[in-house]
Amino acid sequence: MKKIKRILIANRGEIAIRIMRTAKTMGIKCVAVRTAVEPNAMYLSMADIIHDEDEDASEIPVFLDVEKLISIALETKCDAVHPGYGFLAENAYFADRCQVNGIIFIGPSHDAIYKMGNKTVARQIALRHKVPMAMGSPGSIADEEEALVHATRIGYPVIIKAASGGGGRGMRIVRHASEMEKMFTLASREAEKAFNDPSVFIEKYIENPKHIEFQILGDQHGNIIHLGERECSIQRKHQKLLEEAPSPALDTELRQKMGETAVEIARAVSYYSAGTVEFLLDSDKNFYFMEMNTRIQVEHPVTEMITGIDLIEQQILIAMGEKLKIRQEDVRLSGWAIECRINAEDVQAGFAPSPGRIEKISFPDEPGIRVDTGVRAGSSIVASYDSMIAKLIVTGKDRHEAIVNTKKALDKVWIKGTKTTLPFFRMLMRNHLFQEGTFTTAFIEKNLEKYYSHGEYEEMIAAWLATKLFVEENLEDKKTNISFDQGKEITPWLLRKRLTQF
Amino acid sequence: MNAEKPELKKLFALSSEGRKYSFTLPLKNVIRIGKRDYNIELREDEKYGIHVLWKNRRYPVEIVRTKQNRYEILFNDISHIFTVETPFAMQRKKVLGSGKGRSERLVVKAPMPGKIIDVLVRENSQVLRGEALVILEAMKMQNEIQSIVNGTISRIGVKPGQNVMKDDILAEITVK
Amino acid sequence: MDINGKYFKSYLEREDAFKKQYNADRIKKQHAKGKLTAHERIALLFDSGTFEEIDAYVTPSDQGVEFGKIEMSYGDGVVTGHGMIDGRLVFAYAQDFTIMGGSLGIVHARKIAKIQEMALKMGAPIIGINDSGGARIQEGIASLNGYGIIFNNIIQSSGIIPQISVIMGPAAGGAVYGPALTDWVFMTSHTSYMFVTGPNVVREVLNEDISSEDLGGAETHARKSGVANMIYDDEENTIIALRKFLSYLPSNNLENPPVAAYDNSTPDVNEKLRDIVPDDPNKAYDVRDIISLIVDRNSFFETSELFAPNIVTGFGRLEGKTIGIVANQPKVLAGVLDIDSSTKGARFIRFCDVFNIPILTLEDVPGFLPGKDQEHSGIIRHGAKLLFAYSEATVPRITIILRKAYGGAYIVMNSRSMGGDFNFAWPSAEIAVMGPDGAVAILYRRELADAKDPVAMKKELVKRYREKVANPFIADEKGYIDEVIDPAMTRRKVLSAFTALSNKSVKVPSRKHGNMPL
Repeated sequence: MKKIKRILIANRGEIAIRIMRTAKTMGIKCVAVRTAVEPNAMYLSMADIIHDEDEDASEIPVFLDVEKLISIALETKCDAVHPGYGFLAENAYFADRCQVNGIIFIGPSHDAIYKMGNKTVARQIALRHKVPMAMGSPGSIADEEEALVHATRIGYPVIIKAASGGGGRGMRIVRHASEMEKMFTLASREAEKAFNDPSVFIEKYIENPKHIEFQILGDQHGNIIHLGERECSIQRKHQKLLEEAPSPALDTELRQKMGETAVEIARAVSYYSAGTVEFLLDSDKNFYFMEMNTRIQVEHPVTEMITGIDLIEQQILIAMGEKLKIRQEDVRLSGWAIECRINAEDVQAGFAPSPGRIEKISFPDEPGIRVDTGVRAGSSIVASYDSMIAKLIVTGKDRHEAIVNTKKALDKVWIKGTKTTLPFFRMLMRNHLFQEGTFTTAFIEKNLEKYYSHGEYEEMIAAWLATKLFVEENLEDKKTNISFDQGKEITPWLLRKRLTQF
Repeated sequence: MNAEKPELKKLFALSSEGRKYSFTLPLKNVIRIGKRDYNIELREDEKYGIHVLWKNRRYPVEIVRTKQNRYEILFNDISHIFTVETPFAMQRKKVLGSGKGRSERLVVKAPMPGKIIDVLVRENSQVLRGEALVILEAMKMQNEIQSIVNGTISRIGVKPGQNVMKDDILAEITVK
Repeated sequence: MDINGKYFKSYLEREDAFKKQYNADRIKKQHAKGKLTAHERIALLFDSGTFEEIDAYVTPSDQGVEFGKIEMSYGDGVVTGHGMIDGRLVFAYAQDFTIMGGSLGIVHARKIAKIQEMALKMGAPIIGINDSGGARIQEGIASLNGYGIIFNNIIQSSGIIPQISVIMGPAAGGAVYGPALTDWVFMTSHTSYMFVTGPNVVREVLNEDISSEDLGGAETHARKSGVANMIYDDEENTIIALRKFLSYLPSNNLENPPVAAYDNSTPDVNEKLRDIVPDDPNKAYDVRDIISLIVDRNSFFETSELFAPNIVTGFGRLEGKTIGIVANQPKVLAGVLDIDSSTKGARFIRFCDVFNIPILTLEDVPGFLPGKDQEHSGIIRHGAKLLFAYSEATVPRITIILRKAYGGAYIVMNSRSMGGDFNFAWPSAEIAVMGPDGAVAILYRRELADAKDPVAMKKELVKRYREKVANPFIADEKGYIDEVIDPAMTRRKVLSAFTALSNKSVKVPSRKHGNMPL
C-alpha cells in the first residue's frame, strides 16, 4: 500500500475544488495548474501549490496535454494525479503514462479504460457475460450491405453508432431499409471526423427510454459494490441537465437486478475506483446495457447525498490500494436528491452558450442544500471551457419534498452577469410530467414547447420597467442636469486660440 | 402661438410577441392586478446589483440593451423585449400598417468573399434586427452577418464550411 | 388700452382667423398619414411653453396669384421661431405640409432666412424640420431664388453654429441640398423621403421601377447613401432623440460643449474591460461594449449607426463632458477601413474639431479593404480624407490601440505621428507593418518553401514575430506609444489624459482653408 501525499489536480473549475476539499480533510496536499485563460480562477485559491502554465492560446490546453501534465506532476513532486471528469479522465494512454512514471492515476486501470472506451469491445465483453443489451451487430460493420443484414435481423428502427464515440456524435437512427445507405455514410463520415475512426456498429433503437446509471465502487482486491442508481433522463442533445437519485422508475427488485448486472460488468474488466454503468430502460421496464463511464461523473453528488459516502475519498483510498470498507449490504439509500446544472446558457436561444463575467453570485445556505461551484463574483465563464456555473443539489425525505425544496432553492439563487439555465429548472419543477416522474430522454424535445416559463405577472413587471425607463430617459425634464453655462466657461488662453483661428 | 407640450396621458409597452400593456402617466410605482395595486420598487445595491422588490420578493433585473424606444429587460433571468409607444405612435402604426400588407422578402448577401464558419439560425426561426445569422470568415476575421430586419428565416443558402463569393445569397428573410 | 376697443378688436379677429386656419380638419388630414403637424412637432421639440413664433401672420407673395392656385393663408407654410431646449436657446423652422403642401415660396424662404441669420448672430443652434412638396411652381424663379438664399445661409453658418435637419415628409429635387449642407440629418422611417429625382423620373428616364421608400426612404439613406445620420420609427422618437442629441453640442464654435451633471455612477476602474477582446486575434467582438464601459453610464449616443458600421462614431460623456468617439468595429467586416467608413469617420472628426469636442479613438483595424471595387472607386482619395481630418483637428485627441494596428491603417487612426496627443495600447495590441501571417509569408518565403514542415515553421515564425515585432511593449519602449495600460484602467487613463489636454492650444498656420481631398 502506498500512501498518497500530494495530488496533481489535472482539471479546473468545480471538480478541482471538489477533489481538493476531500483531499484536505485527508491531509493530502494539492497542486493546481494556473492557465492563461483564467489566471484568477477560484479553484486556485483552494490549492496548496500553484503551478503556473504560460501556454499560448493557440496551443492545446494543458489539461489535454499528457506529457506536460506528467512533467508538471514530476516537477511538483506529486505522487498521484486526479483527472476529474472530461479532459483526460478517460484516456487510457494518460493512465498508462502515469503508471510508467511512478505516479498513481486516481481512477481505474488503463486496461479497463481502454476496454470500456471502445464500444465494440465493451459490447463483446457484455455479450460474453450475458448482460442484457439491445440487439445489434457483434462488432463493427464494414458497409451498408452488412448493416442491412443486421437491421433486418434485429428489426427497425435501428441506430448506427460510432465505435469510438460518445456524446451523441456519429449517431444516426434508421427507421427504414431505404434510409440505410445514406445514414450509414453520414454516421461513418461523422465518426471519422469526430473520433478519427470511421468504424461504426449497429444496435436496436430503443424508443423513448429512460437513462438510468449505476454508481460502482471497486477496490484493487476484487471487491465491487454498487451505490444505487441515478436518473439522468432530463437531457438535451445528450447533455444532461438534471439528475436525481434514486430514480422514480425503479423498485427494490429492479434496482437489485440492475445493480447486480452493473457489478457484473465492472467485474468483467476487473474494475476498480469509481465508475458508472449506464443503462437504457424501456417502457416495459426492460433494461439494456449502454456503456460504462470510467471516471467520476459530474452528477456524483446526488449519490453522495443519499448514501452518505464521499466518492472522491473512496477513489483516493482505492488508489492507495486500500480495501473497500463498505459492503453491499451496508449501502442504504435514504431520502431523495436532485441536481440542477446551472450553466451560463441562454435558454431562450435554445441553450446557446452565454459566456461572460459573473457579477453577483449567491446561493441559499441552508441544510439540505449543497452547491458545488467553481466560480465566484468576478469570475469569467470563458468560451474555451464548459459553461457550468454551479451544481445545485437539493435533498428531501422523498421525491415530492425534494422537488418542493428545489423549487424554493432555485428562487434563492442569485446570479447576475450572464444568462443561466435557471428559468429552465423553474419551469421543470412545475411541469406535471416531471413531477409524475414518467419522463424519458425525449422529454425536452417532445414534451416541451418552451424551455422556460415565467411567473404570471413577470412580463407585466418587465413592461412596467421598460415604461419606467422610457419615462426617465425621455419625458422627465432634464433642465437641471445639463449646464450650458458651464460650457461657456473658457479660459482666456483657449478663447484667444479660438478667436485667432479665423 | 403658444406651444405647450401636449399632455401625455398613457404609454403602451408592446412585447415582441405582440402583447400590449398600458400604463397611465404619471407612472406610479405600482402594478395593478385586478383591482389591487401592488407596490413595486426598482433598487440597486452592492450586494444584489439592480433588482426589483415586489410582493416581498427580490428579483434580479438587467437592462440589456436600449435603443430608441426598444428595451430588453432581463427580469428573473428571462429576457423580455418591448417597445414603448405613445398613443399617437400606436395610431401611426395602424395607419402605416394598413397601407400595404407588408410581407416583403429580404435577401441577405455575403458582403465579401470568405468561408462560412457557422450558421446560427434555422429555417422558419424568428430573427430580430441585429441578430447574428451566420459567421463568415474573411480577411482572417470572423464576421457576424446580422439581420437588418425583424422577420422569419425563409431560406438558408449556405452551410458551415462552404466558401462564398461576394453577393452570394446567405439567407432570405420574410419581413414581419 | 381697452381690451374691447377697436385696436384690440382687429387683433383678436386676426388671432381668431389664425386659429381657424389650423382647424381640426387640417390636423386630422396630417394625422391620417401618421404624421404630426408642424406646430405639434415644434411643441414636442421645445421645453414646454418656451417657443415664440415669428412671422406667423405673413401672407404669400402676390407673384403667383395671377396663375392661381395660391391659397391665401397666414404663415406661408412654415412655422419659424425660437425657444428653449433643455433651457438653452435654439432656433427652428418647421415646414407645414397642410398649407400648400409646405411648398417653398419666396415669403416662406425669407422667413427661414431670417431665422437662420438670427441663429448665426446669437450663436445658437438651428433646427429645420422639413416636410415640403418642394419649390412653389406658381412662384417660378422667386422660389428658386429662395432656395439659393437658404443654402447660402447654411454654408455661411457652417462650422459656427450646429445646424440640424429633420426630414419628416418629402424633400425632393433641389430642396434636398438644404439638409445635405447641414451638419446632421435626422429622418423618420416610412413617412419621409429624399431624392434629387423621384421614382416617376427614374421610371421615365431609366425605365426602372422603384418605390419612394427604396429610392430615398429613411432606411436607404441611413444604410446605403449615408445621407441620413439618424433614423427613428416615428416622429416622437425622432424628436426625443434630437433633444438628447443636442445636449452633447455647444451652441457655437467659441463655446465648450455643455456639461451634464455627473453622478459618479461609472467605475473608473472596470475589470469587465479585460474580458471583451477575445484571445483569438481572429475572433470578433462588439467595440460598443468597450465604449459603453469607458464613457459615463448610458451616455453613448451613436451617430450614423447603420452607415458603414465597420466604423463606430458617436458622442459620449466623461464625467459629464462631451467627447467624440471613433472606433473600428471588429464585428463588421473585421473593422476594416473602406471608402464609406473613411468618409463617415472624417466627417465626424471634422464636426468634433469645429465644435471643440475632444476625440477618443479606439483602434482595432486589420487594414484597408483590398480589391478592385475599392481601388477603382477611389479608396486612396477617400482614405486620405480620414488622414486629413485627423491631422487637421486641433481638439485633444487620444488613441487606444485595442488590438490590431497594421500598416497604413495604423497611421490613419490618429497615430502619434499624425498629431495624436496620447497614444495608449492594451497588452493585446499588435502594432506592425502587417499582420503576422502576411509578414512571415513575405520575409521567409524562400525558407518556408524549402522547409520540411512549413506549417510548423510558419507557426514558430508567427510566434516569434508576435514576440519580437508586433507587440505593444516594443512600441512602448521605443516611445511610439505613451503607455501600455491595463484595460481595466482605461477610463481612468482617458479621464486624466483629457484633463491634461483641456487647455490644448496649437498654432495653426494662417491660410484661407486647407485643400482636403474631396
